[in-house]
Amino acid sequence: MITFGLPKGRNLDPARAALAAAGLHLDGLDSSRLRQRFPDRNVLGTPVEVLLLKDWDLPLYVEHGIVDCAIIGSDVLEETQPDVFRPLQLKDGRSRLSLIAETPELPKRSGQLRAATRYPAWAARLLAERNFHVEVIHLTSSIELGPLLDLTDVAVDIVQTGTTLRTHDLHEVEILARVAPTFVVNRASFHAYRRRLGELLGALEETEAGGD
Amino acid sequence: MKISAGLPTGVSASLFDSARRRRRLEARLSALLEERGFAEVLLPILDYFEPYRPLLTGRRLEQLYRFVDRDGQLLVLRGDFTPMLARLLAPHLDELELPLRLYYRGDVVRHQPLRPGRMREYSQLGAELLGGDEAEADEKMLTLFFDLLLAARAGRPRRMQRDVRHGLPQARGEAPAPGDGEEHTLRVVLGVAGALDEALLAAVGARKASDLALRIASRDRIAARRAGLADVVERGYPTDLSVLGGAGEAVSKLLGLRDRLSSAYRDAAIEVEVDLAEFAAAALDPRIGVGDGPRGYYDGLMFAAYAPGTALALGVGGRYDKVFRSLSGGCSAVGFSLGLDLLLELGAAETRS
Repeated sequence: MITFGLPKGRNLDPARAALAAAGLHLDGLDSSRLRQRFPDRNVLGTPVEVLLLKDWDLPLYVEHGIVDCAIIGSDVLEETQPDVFRPLQLKDGRSRLSLIAETPELPKRSGQLRAATRYPAWAARLLAERNFHVEVIHLTSSIELGPLLDLTDVAVDIVQTGTTLRTHDLHEVEILARVAPTFVVNRASFHAYRRRLGELLGALEETEAGGD
Repeated sequence: MKISAGLPTGVSASLFDSARRRRRLEARLSALLEERGFAEVLLPILDYFEPYRPLLTGRRLEQLYRFVDRDGQLLVLRGDFTPMLARLLAPHLDELELPLRLYYRGDVVRHQPLRPGRMREYSQLGAELLGGDEAEADEKMLTLFFDLLLAARAGRPRRMQRDVRHGLPQARGEAPAPGDGEEHTLRVVLGVAGALDEALLAAVGARKASDLALRIASRDRIAARRAGLADVVERGYPTDLSVLGGAGEAVSKLLGLRDRLSSAYRDAAIEVEVDLAEFAAAALDPRIGVGDGPRGYYDGLMFAAYAPGTALALGVGGRYDKVFRSLSGGCSAVGFSLGLDLLLELGAAETRS
């Protein structure tokens, strides 16, 4: 039996759709239940257990081997840097990590900028690569409020459709990175289920659910 | 004032039963090593820092705990047995009778990010074989590696522990589901340091080869396919070994070694596979700047053992002739270390299940 970790929230639907297109149907998956088991009539040829967990917790469960594989946002992976394999990214559910400000250009500051983000480590790396001198402020939600309430000069956050930005009259100054739901596998599980997972991953590629 | 019983991050104590279990495991493994003609060496916990500059690279150097003692000497806490042993033996190689079989056990300390199952102080048991015919030595040491893993009875347990906790059929005494058999097998993956170097450089050039090496090590299928190296990620090695250039011959020999070991250990629930992607970041070509990973000093055969449900490899090893070359003590050398804490964790899970 192979245990899948699937994310609650925005990545669940793209994850389910991609797995179904590749021959792993999770019919009757109840998003309110933690653990569910599905029979072996699937591309893996073995029963599948699904654990529905929060995106931010999934990397630890995969690293520990509690779940064999999972679909996790690449934003979470970049921030938490788990020691897991990342065979492919899904095409659906993609978004971007952007630098957001109240003006179309970066605000001019003689000193360092202050940036609000839920990704302090990743944002710091990306901004350092661009030679920005930035003080990163860690917020856990409503990141756009940082510049709106003058806590920070800018925000670094996920932009999917841009609706939130338009609502608050904010501007996407620069795209810092692309974000995609990513199929990840525990190192030992990869070796244990190499053939079975290879078939699923091959099917994901063929259905073009996975890509670049 | 109340005295806290807390310990620094990444450090733990073995008390009572866990101490007894560790000593019993050490005794079992040591007995097997002695039986095979390996002699124990006891190495110090403190050493100078300077000798390690040429022996260790990048991350490994950064992970050493170093400090200036009261005499003004820059010292390190033992972070790895192998280079310490090599630097102590190199000046005396002329006086020693080769091949030399040695083993060690004890703790190493590394300042590394905490990960599941990864402490900053942890116990290892390892063995080294210096000198002798290289191919023969590689096979002998792999056989020893397998036998020690079996002696530690590390082949099954973690998934069984999970099944108990989850109340799944196996734990309830019901028949296992199709495909469950493969969950209880120990996997040993084999590779060769630098085996992909020529293929990476040919595929994307020197500027992008490091990034491709890391992507392949992470089993990125799309990047591998674009580089014409899909086979490496999907089955572990290319169908046409000629794409590996000069490394093709070494990998061909490795496939032969895999077949012999697979056949010898088929009944022992150990699966052996060649997986060059596992060691893609162990580059030897200086144009591929990722060769300073945790296995940075290997320059030939490499191997690692995994059990299902574990976060880390139970043991790793390989050939490290270049360490002796850099010490001006030309000598072939192959060795490995096993993580005793991981083996004990697996053993405990087996007992509970």
